[in-house]
Amino acid sequence: MKQLWSLLSALALVAAFGTTAAAHHSAVQYDFTKTATITGVVLKFQAINPHMRLTLRVTDAKGTRDLEIEGHSTNNMYRAGYRDGLIKVGDTITVHMAPLRDGREGGYMVAAVAANGTRFGAQTAAERAGERERAEGK
Amino acid sequence: MRRMPRCSVLVVLGCLVILPTAVAGQGGPHPDFSGLWTTYAEPGQARGGGAGRGGGASLPLTDEARKKVEAYRALIGDSGASPGGFCLGTGMPGSMLGSGGYPMEILQRPEQINITYEAHNEVRRVYLGERIVPMADRLPGRDGHSSGHWEGDTLVVDTTHLVEQVDQRWPHSDQARIVERYRLTTDSAGTKVLVAEMTMTDPVFYTKPVTETKKWAYVPNGHLLPYECAEEGWRIHLEELEKKAKESKR
Repeated sequence: MKQLWSLLSALALVAAFGTTAAAHHSAVQYDFTKTATITGVVLKFQAINPHMRLTLRVTDAKGTRDLEIEGHSTNNMYRAGYRDGLIKVGDTITVHMAPLRDGREGGYMVAAVAANGTRFGAQTAAERAGERERAEGK
Repeated sequence: MRRMPRCSVLVVLGCLVILPTAVAGQGGPHPDFSGLWTTYAEPGQARGGGAGRGGGASLPLTDEARKKVEAYRALIGDSGASPGGFCLGTGMPGSMLGSGGYPMEILQRPEQINITYEAHNEVRRVYLGERIVPMADRLPGRDGHSSGHWEGDTLVVDTTHLVEQVDQRWPHSDQARIVERYRLTTDSAGTKVLVAEMTMTDPVFYTKPVTETKKWAYVPNGHLLPYECAEEGWRIHLEELEKKAKESKR
């Protein structure tokens, strides 16, 4: 699994690897050096390629709003623990995402924790930083 | 009924043992490359990614090629746009040198070898022997047209009929020719490794041949996953239609 995470953590590359003319986007609008963690209720979820798509209803001190989130490809998420049916509409999940660079809410789902506690996805920027600090004895 | 000599029985049994790991044809049994392969990492090291876009700073480009590549990069700017961003396969040689870090599957028959790169379901077909298509009957494409032959245990793949591509890490003209040499080996940890050595010659884009080596690790009982890249765009299109339909009813 560690090998898979290493692969996925190198995937700013794959993040930029695809979508369609109609939905054309790349990953340049996301900051993969940062991690934003957010919990909400799933309004919509699509396990598709090249990017998973998620609409998450978030309620906190700022109020209630719906965030549009995309993420790694279903194929890469599958190899990092995702399985069919893991995320359903109505579930409360936690998403670790690379935030939008322009400061708006939303981001690129790098990893997530499903309602049943299953975590899937790549190593986040925060986790990589923590790993580096431990390795350097900080 | 004549009895088969004992030595002949042993030869037949020996062949049965060999068959699962070799494919007959083309002048004898050859290594079988069939199966799922993923980017190889030396023992103890993390795997790298695949063929990225727009690299090649150290490539021996001709002035003409450099101008075309620079014009392309200026056009793209910092948008992050890429062929993959429009569900287009990587194209050769980017596909055989990594294909975005996704795995590939090889299915091998004596007369044809199919290589499917998971990303964008990109497929290459390598024809051998009598299946080789005459030059005049080939159509150009991003992966070109590939024919193969065996040199001992090495599969040699010759790819021609490529279209000009400035949109990948190894840009090339439509005059490019790519020769790949595939052979099996085993690393110190016992992992089966497929070594692919690539040489690209292109008198229009390069002042000398470009060489690269890519290693793939065998994934026992591995499976390629479907990759319907256009699905997201289609769903978005349907959502837009639904939105318009709702607005028109108001």
